[in-house]
Amino acid sequence: MQYKSQAVAKPYFIAAIGLFVGQILFGLIIGLQYVIGDFLFPEIPFNVARMVHTNLLIVWLLFGFMGAAYYLVPEEAERELVSPGLAILMFWIFLVAGALTILGYLLVPYSGLAEMTGNSLLPTMGREFLEQPTITKIGIVIVALAFLFNVGMTVLKGRKTVVSLVLLIGLTGLALLFLFAFYNPDNLVKDKFYWWWVVHLWVEGVWELILGSILAFVLIKTTGVDREVIEKWLYVIIAMTLITGIIGTGHHFYWIGTPEYWQWWGSIFSALEPIPFFMMTVFAFNMVNRRRRNHPNKAAVLWALGTAVMAFLGAGVWGFLHTLSPVNYYTHGSQITAAHGHMAFYGAYVMIVLTMISYAMPMLRGREAANSNRSQVLEMWSFWLMTVSIVFITLFLTGAGILQVYLQRYSADPLPFMVVQDKIALFYWMREVAGVMFLIGLLTYIASFFVGGKEPEAVVAATEGA
Amino acid sequence: MNATDTDGQRSNEVASAYPPGDLAIWIFILAELLVFAVFFAAYAFTRMNHVELFNQYQATLNRDAALINTIALLTASYFVVRGVVAAREGDNALCARWTWAAIAMGAVFLVVKSAEYAHHFEAGINLRTNTFYMFYLSLTFFHFLHVILGMVILAAVALKAQRGGYSSADHTGVETGASYWHMVDLVWLVLFPLVYVMR
Amino acid sequence: MMTSAASKRFLRPCTWVYAALIALTCVTWLIGRLQLSGLSTALLVLALALLKGHLIGDWFMGLRAVRGLWRWAIVIWLIVPGALITLAFVLSYGN
Repeated sequence: MQYKSQAVAKPYFIAAIGLFVGQILFGLIIGLQYVIGDFLFPEIPFNVARMVHTNLLIVWLLFGFMGAAYYLVPEEAERELVSPGLAILMFWIFLVAGALTILGYLLVPYSGLAEMTGNSLLPTMGREFLEQPTITKIGIVIVALAFLFNVGMTVLKGRKTVVSLVLLIGLTGLALLFLFAFYNPDNLVKDKFYWWWVVHLWVEGVWELILGSILAFVLIKTTGVDREVIEKWLYVIIAMTLITGIIGTGHHFYWIGTPEYWQWWGSIFSALEPIPFFMMTVFAFNMVNRRRRNHPNKAAVLWALGTAVMAFLGAGVWGFLHTLSPVNYYTHGSQITAAHGHMAFYGAYVMIVLTMISYAMPMLRGREAANSNRSQVLEMWSFWLMTVSIVFITLFLTGAGILQVYLQRYSADPLPFMVVQDKIALFYWMREVAGVMFLIGLLTYIASFFVGGKEPEAVVAATEGA
Repeated sequence: MNATDTDGQRSNEVASAYPPGDLAIWIFILAELLVFAVFFAAYAFTRMNHVELFNQYQATLNRDAALINTIALLTASYFVVRGVVAAREGDNALCARWTWAAIAMGAVFLVVKSAEYAHHFEAGINLRTNTFYMFYLSLTFFHFLHVILGMVILAAVALKAQRGGYSSADHTGVETGASYWHMVDLVWLVLFPLVYVMR
Repeated sequence: MMTSAASKRFLRPCTWVYAALIALTCVTWLIGRLQLSGLSTALLVLALALLKGHLIGDWFMGLRAVRGLWRWAIVIWLIVPGALITLAFVLSYGN
């Protein structure tokens, strides 16, 4: 760790992992509720558990992004963070606000929560992923502004690199697009239209910039390849991301009452959204093959390569599967969407945060560059457990989705929704088993922080020199 | 091969494994070309099911304006080539002049195309009018944006050349900008006959 | 002002290419002006466009002097959408 203030990343990473565990537990609960409908009813109804599952995901990824930025920016800018104190203060505000919101979801009926938090003054609640009470949303904006100020000033006062600028553009876009969460028109078409400006333009737009810059940073550090080469790739990847991703928003506008041209715009541009992800895969492997040194932190390199592959599969391939409007006509809102959602979020965003944690945490905990061999072996086990589990979750949901689409929408005598749900229950059971495997992987991951702490740091064997 | 042979790029070198300019711009060019290829194929196959409609409304387009625009883009590309030649010979001032001339031709394109759009919009035509106009407006406007981006890139090249930023040994930047601009031209060369002429 | 061998020639090769591109463009324009239709005319116009694209790729983009896969990057790009457009037009005339 080169700069003292990078240490503020540590609580962010710890909180991220803690909330990650919560997310998976609630995922297992709703997975079981798919097949045992009254499981934990009435204490935790399905809609509440699902809200907690998705909201926790977003919140812990935001913690991860912020931690990653606080670690990355001082090193890129070659100076201390403008205000480490502000970063810590924002950490606690965000954590407490997040925890209160989740408790609100769990302990109070949603309508009661809306009443308690004065939603009628500025109604923003009740929309998928943006369920947070208005007051929490305002809190998120304040935290984001303070965070941007802190990181932005550090970049502006210090060395400006492509990596930090792309990260800053991504984070600024993240904050600005969130403002559409406050726009809640009465017209349902408009409501959905701008809702996607938050949801889609986050995950298929600005978040990809954050992903690209973190990946570039870790690759620069672990491979020793020239910064200029990596920056060039980063430029091309983000340009392609923005071209395809922004107009690609149209693939959400097919069936919500917008004009017909969105069928074409959405289909054509989003069909090309896999390209930047494919470039990212080629980029990551290319850089690792051209490495000038063997970094002792093998686990971090594994996570980086894993991100590149799984992001391409989950976001690219599984996204393409149902992005063309004639296909999407049958598949929208089915388990195909859920399959894509799981693998894309894990492959792109979960893995990039874990990549950064894997790279930075040893230094944050006082190591020179890497954990002990024992700890890394366990971490790599967790990598494979979680990654293979998510592949199976995705495959089972895809199977469920294909069957669902056929029985419910495509066959000559379409069956009602709930009848079809019963027929595909076997897939849901298998998905739940894969989910338990994932939890074991996650626990293994956490365990890797607590083993081999006293053993010497892993070093690169001389014979391995490239 | 010698310097008098191609006048194109890298004329005084043996065959290279990589195209002129930065490799990253070529990756980008290929990706952009792929977007346009998909768009062109979508146009052609949609037309297949609406031949009457496409023929009827294609007739309302202004082919004279398209001719002027094609000539403008081709001329701009030619000027860009001359700019690259000048840069290769180490003449920054001449490179800047050719490049500014190319940008001026790009501006001609934008003016003519805007006049066409104004004419259509006055007639109340928009993306929802029919499938032909949807394609016509989408394709040409997407290309229009590329012309603007190409001009911005060329302006960056011209400004750097004015400051004496290139030399006969190092003029990759000029070639990079030139390659992007030629792509913008190339796309129009297919777009023009496909949308304005073929019926 | 220019001292290279190329500048001493009356017309550079790229100038000839430019003149050819303009001439081909005028042919396309004339066909459009007369609103000629029919499969063979349409495909002729397409072929002219692909030829022009090839001239741009080879001479202006400098791929003539490149070996390996990059040499054919633009040619491949021209052929693939060219073939799809041809197919679509052939089918539309077949109906």
